[in-house]
Amino acid sequence: MKLLHLGNFPLDNRRLIGALFLTPALLYIVLLVGFPFVLSIAFGFSDVTVGNTDLSFVGFRNFLAVWENDIFRQVFETTIRFTLISQVFILIFANILAVIFTQEFTGKWFARFVFILPWATPVSLAMIGWLWMLDTKYSPIDYLLLQLGLLGRGGLLSDNRNLFWLAAPDLAQISVIFVQVWRMTPLATVILMAGLSSIPTDILDQAEVDGSRFMRTLLQIKLPLILPIMVIALLFSMITMFGDMTVVYVLTRGGPVDYTRVLGLYSFQVGIEGGNLAQGAAISLFAFPLLLAMAIFMLRTASRAEVR
Amino acid sequence: MKSLIRLLLVLSIFGTLVIGISAQDTEISLLQWSHFVPRYDEWFDAYAAEWGEANGVGVSVDHVNFTELFSTLAAEIDAGDGHSIVEVLFSPASFIDGLHDLRDINEAAAEMYGERASTCEAASYLPVSDTWYAYTHGYVPDPGDYDIALWTEAGYPDGPKTYDDLLEGGRAIFEASGIPVGIGMSPELDSRMANRAAIWSFGGSIQDENENVVLNSDETIAAVKYLAQLQNEAMTDEVFGWTAASNNQGLIAGELSYILNSNSAYRSLQKIDEAAAANIGFTPALAGPAGAYASSHVWQIYVIPKYVEGDELAAAKQFILDHTANYSDVTYHSELYNFPCLPGTVPELDGWLEADPWGSEPPNKFEVLKTVNDWSVHLGFPGVTNPAISQVFAESIIPNMVAQVALGEMDAEEAVAQAHERIEEIFNEWRARGLVGGGDM
Repeated sequence: MKLLHLGNFPLDNRRLIGALFLTPALLYIVLLVGFPFVLSIAFGFSDVTVGNTDLSFVGFRNFLAVWENDIFRQVFETTIRFTLISQVFILIFANILAVIFTQEFTGKWFARFVFILPWATPVSLAMIGWLWMLDTKYSPIDYLLLQLGLLGRGGLLSDNRNLFWLAAPDLAQISVIFVQVWRMTPLATVILMAGLSSIPTDILDQAEVDGSRFMRTLLQIKLPLILPIMVIALLFSMITMFGDMTVVYVLTRGGPVDYTRVLGLYSFQVGIEGGNLAQGAAISLFAFPLLLAMAIFMLRTASRAEVR
Repeated sequence: MKSLIRLLLVLSIFGTLVIGISAQDTEISLLQWSHFVPRYDEWFDAYAAEWGEANGVGVSVDHVNFTELFSTLAAEIDAGDGHSIVEVLFSPASFIDGLHDLRDINEAAAEMYGERASTCEAASYLPVSDTWYAYTHGYVPDPGDYDIALWTEAGYPDGPKTYDDLLEGGRAIFEASGIPVGIGMSPELDSRMANRAAIWSFGGSIQDENENVVLNSDETIAAVKYLAQLQNEAMTDEVFGWTAASNNQGLIAGELSYILNSNSAYRSLQKIDEAAAANIGFTPALAGPAGAYASSHVWQIYVIPKYVEGDELAAAKQFILDHTANYSDVTYHSELYNFPCLPGTVPELDGWLEADPWGSEPPNKFEVLKTVNDWSVHLGFPGVTNPAISQVFAESIIPNMVAQVALGEMDAEEAVAQAHERIEEIFNEWRARGLVGGGDM
């Protein structure tokens, strides 16, 4: 057989094409993640303010001051608690929905489209929608409960005409967690759907032939096989939520009292609104070691699961 | 002789400014909030364009939501590039190192128009560094707005005059009609100011005249106990989730008997329902055991970042002084929202308060504001609004302290002591930077 000689074509070079494909991602990471991160470390070890950006080195002074601040410790604890509770619900809902959306049923594409909207909608717009839904006085949810006789004088839930979703400490925390779960579940679901779709059909066929029913196939075959992908979905979701301030900034501003104040919001309030840029940076950096440890642990877990 | 020297000083500043901006290619840009009164922005944008044409200066104006002003200013100072003039609504004392000292135009304006309202001076001048870091041209009074029919029925036809009246009358109205008082206790602007007003009127304060932290006092504790009682007996839990819109929403819906607000809530109601607006009356700051004080609602504060230089700087200063010279238009087109820091610039003001040019019924509805300079103070009262006061404001330490007691989570003594400790930390940090007086200085 005669082979056609194509000559040297630069894009046949695997090293070159690899570098070209990686460049946009690398630029993105260096410019939009790496540079701000290095800058915030520099700020955290300096005496910088919003008016004076001279980076005079002050050692660990800001970090020590932040650690001694009672409000910070409460904010840190709240951030961890909100993140962990949300992840439990996200994981449960994402698994259920991913299984549903990988089945065949009428209107599947429309249901998928509607379901992805919380993730696709700009977060600030979505939060304004929730702000109206959970309004302390004019909440449509309260109106509905009032019409059902669950609120108002003699009501089952409260004698008040309102539940004060964003004003009562317990309800405000539940509201914030609920909205975070609502917002983050679609992403985790899509990732898990990709995982479920990638399971070789011969494995599932073999299971069926062997008499495995739905739940057994799900729990003993599908979930173990998508465990590495599940860990990645969880990692994405946790990191996004840990650093998020938009939800509480729009909904509660951290209130009532400090019940919903999270790290990102407190860092913004101290660093930008309060002008103490150095301490604002130090507050945000406290999350880094924790997230790094979490990421390493989860990626190793995913890697081990993959090897098995 | 002294007067002559002052006159020469003023003339020389003007001369410098006029010569400085003679170049035709000079351009200035302004960043300010989208004013609560849209007609004000329409007037301002046209005024700025006319001023530019008259002075041979290109002028552009950008309007943003007020919550974005500080973050934008911070970004522009950090970048060393941005707008020539930025108007913020709260003291930008923490930006001081990145701002021009505007002593010359502050002194020139005072020479021309006389004494400045104290609420304005304290939001622009930092004694510890002897710097005029800003030029405050206006402020917004924050009187009480009350429902005349409800308060008349409760035996207070002129509304509450004291904090005791507010508790007694507010409680009676709440018990009779279910309509509560609306004093916010959440981490947001209106709550931060309303809670301070009560503390000052009970004789407490965050700092003294010399910028020493004095929050933990019997007077502050009494004020916090009072506010907690007011919440428990005359308000609902909605005040813990208060937002900047809550006053307006509640007053317009007829679901609050008394609020502390600028005239914005009333003006909104006036445009929707004139009869309901006629049922709203105004009170000056309520009297407590130590006097009657209320925070100004916001301040209109011009700053010029240090990256602005040469002709652009001269033109920016000239713009600010000319704007002050036209303050009657500012006050009028803002529907009496902006009050002048230099009362001499708006000689018509008392007449407008006696007969509202924007059609209030009765026409003298705003007459109580004639005494506003006696009771309207600034965030750092009785000291100045320094960077530490700004950070305390940003962290919402005061409304959170009050809410903890009202929610029954802490007693007043414990909450005030805890807040005092955090405020001391903040003051010490800024004092170490040389931007707060007091302490061992």
